[in-house]
Amino acid sequence: MARKKAGAALLGLLLVGAGARPPEDGSAAIKVRVVKGRTEAAVDLSDIFGPDRQREFGNGLDNVVEIYTSVVPAGGGPPASLHGRIVEILFDVWEETYAVSVKDPEHPAGRRLVLRDFAALRAFLSDQKGLDLGPVEALPDAFRVEVRVEVNPISREQLQRTREYIAAASGSRQSGSRSVLGAVASFLLREPNAGSDVHLLRSPPLTRAGIAPP
Amino acid sequence: MPTTLPALLALALAQAQTGTPVPEAGAPPAAEETPAAGSVAEGQASQIPTRRYLIERVEVRGLSHTRLEALHRHLLVDEGEILDPERVLLSRLSLLQLGWFSSVDTHVERGSERGKVVVVFDVVERNTLVVTDLVLGSTRPQPLYGGLGLSQQNFLGEGLGLSGGFVYGGTPEGRAHDPNRYALRAGFFAPDLAVPRLRLVAGVSGLFLRGEELACADVQCTAFQSNYGEAPRIRYLRAGGEVLLGVRPGPFERLSGAYRLERVHATRIGVSPGAGPAVHDGWSELAALTGSYEVETRDDFFYPTDGFHANGQVTFASRLFGGDYEFSRYLLQLDTAYDFLRLPLRIQAALGAVQGDAPFFERFYPADYSYFAIGPALGRAMELNFSTDSRYDAFLAMGGLEWGIPLWTREDSPWHRGYLAVGLRAVWSSATLGGGRTDFSKTPISADLALRLDTIIGTFNLSLGYALDNAL
Repeated sequence: MARKKAGAALLGLLLVGAGARPPEDGSAAIKVRVVKGRTEAAVDLSDIFGPDRQREFGNGLDNVVEIYTSVVPAGGGPPASLHGRIVEILFDVWEETYAVSVKDPEHPAGRRLVLRDFAALRAFLSDQKGLDLGPVEALPDAFRVEVRVEVNPISREQLQRTREYIAAASGSRQSGSRSVLGAVASFLLREPNAGSDVHLLRSPPLTRAGIAPP
Repeated sequence: MPTTLPALLALALAQAQTGTPVPEAGAPPAAEETPAAGSVAEGQASQIPTRRYLIERVEVRGLSHTRLEALHRHLLVDEGEILDPERVLLSRLSLLQLGWFSSVDTHVERGSERGKVVVVFDVVERNTLVVTDLVLGSTRPQPLYGGLGLSQQNFLGEGLGLSGGFVYGGTPEGRAHDPNRYALRAGFFAPDLAVPRLRLVAGVSGLFLRGEELACADVQCTAFQSNYGEAPRIRYLRAGGEVLLGVRPGPFERLSGAYRLERVHATRIGVSPGAGPAVHDGWSELAALTGSYEVETRDDFFYPTDGFHANGQVTFASRLFGGDYEFSRYLLQLDTAYDFLRLPLRIQAALGAVQGDAPFFERFYPADYSYFAIGPALGRAMELNFSTDSRYDAFLAMGGLEWGIPLWTREDSPWHRGYLAVGLRAVWSSATLGGGRTDFSKTPISADLALRLDTIIGTFNLSLGYALDNAL
């Protein structure tokens, strides 16, 4: 009986864990239209880039925002098309302006802006338009548009460059003991939570016929 | 960050450059047609130079326990240098990887004059006193025993490790006037001594252990199940210490040598000479040199997703070093992270052999390597054996697979992380090199279902396999 209870508790934990970070409802934030035969998305990211970001983006160091927009078939499978935009932000502590660099397929070499204040930066980041998702005829019959926003992602390569094995050792003897409540490790070595955050917006189901009537 | 995303972005960029239709040149997307409010300049990336500031000083704020000197070498920026944001980021990651801080934020402030800046690291220190052992067990001859181990991972704020632990079992069942059985262990370790041109590690540890090994005619001690106090046994005492010195040839490697000296006393109670676990009668000394090579590239100790841990040890004990035992011991251990040949599996393996006149505690107790044993054998607690099975082997081979299912991650909660581990292991051991299998368990295969918790006070393992082992 006790094992059954434990099993039920574990199942409950699994369900809680599985549902911990669902995609956010992007029905109001994501707009899709057809311009000159091409599918174009616009996304309102004002909820992600709220006023509380000023301290983070105003730290005088590099900040990176990555925005990936994809068309995903409603029945599942790999994305039918993808658009990526990388925005680099650097606040100048003496000039008190924001230098912004934008790279996307339309500007692979990058485009720079200097924004006067945080309000201008927030407006720029929140209003993502002209996200080209390819020719309309390449769209699946039924699909969703998903937008993944990563703020200050930490790459595996950056973590590799800073990692060292400097945890304490137990000497030549095997340490630790097995037990029902046995601790499994005496080390604090761990993947750090470097503070990067990821947001996923998902549109309601759309159809090609719905956005481009014949 | 998923590594697929940069690749997907590269694909998207390549699409734009290889003829996949994109907006016509000169017709940028709508976002670019309307300059953002407050924009004072716009152009190609190369047209607006990045300003270069001189670092006037570097400040670390929030230190109350950790000494500034202990973390200074992990900072990749220094005063007098040109500000490089990438190096500030890497410094921040280095500090986070130490495990001493729950958060590290960085920012830049204006310096004393134009062109100069102050780089600030805001840290929040975390609890570095963790539980390393929490033992609770029960066997037929020992209805209850338990123990606790603690480790301070940032002793004196210098990044030094100080640990201690005990296991207590009391007097043996049916022998109220016998000495208590217990184990005490303490250790001090300096994992990163910064000596010019060398990265040294050093440590010292001590052990005091008073225990017993039952030596019945059968491993169940069938004849004494109604009164284990009458069972033949070897009572022993061990007291000793070890000094370790090593180098770190690379960031993930450790090469060390250790000298261990132990005084051992053994008394036979109802056991004829030569019978039971191997140990010299009366007082004896064990002196051994151990060389270890260790590689640890796992990205996380609790739930690794990448890398591996490998450890090779060779031990020589000899009268040459001042002891009474002549033996050699070899042990190889491997533990990969949850990704092997693109399968989310963790591989664990161990291979060990002992040659010569090794005391029983230098041999392999196979139940230590098994999730459970069908029979009386039970994994030891800090080297104390509370089961009736006292067979120690000269050869050991273990192979296992484990699958981890992450359940939750909440850094702001005392229960940081949890995952479910499902494991399968095979353990094969023999009393002599080249001998037949020791049937420490009716089957060499064992399995486990465990809930592993990473908490503010340490990591814990709620193992169904071990619970089963106590019952079997």
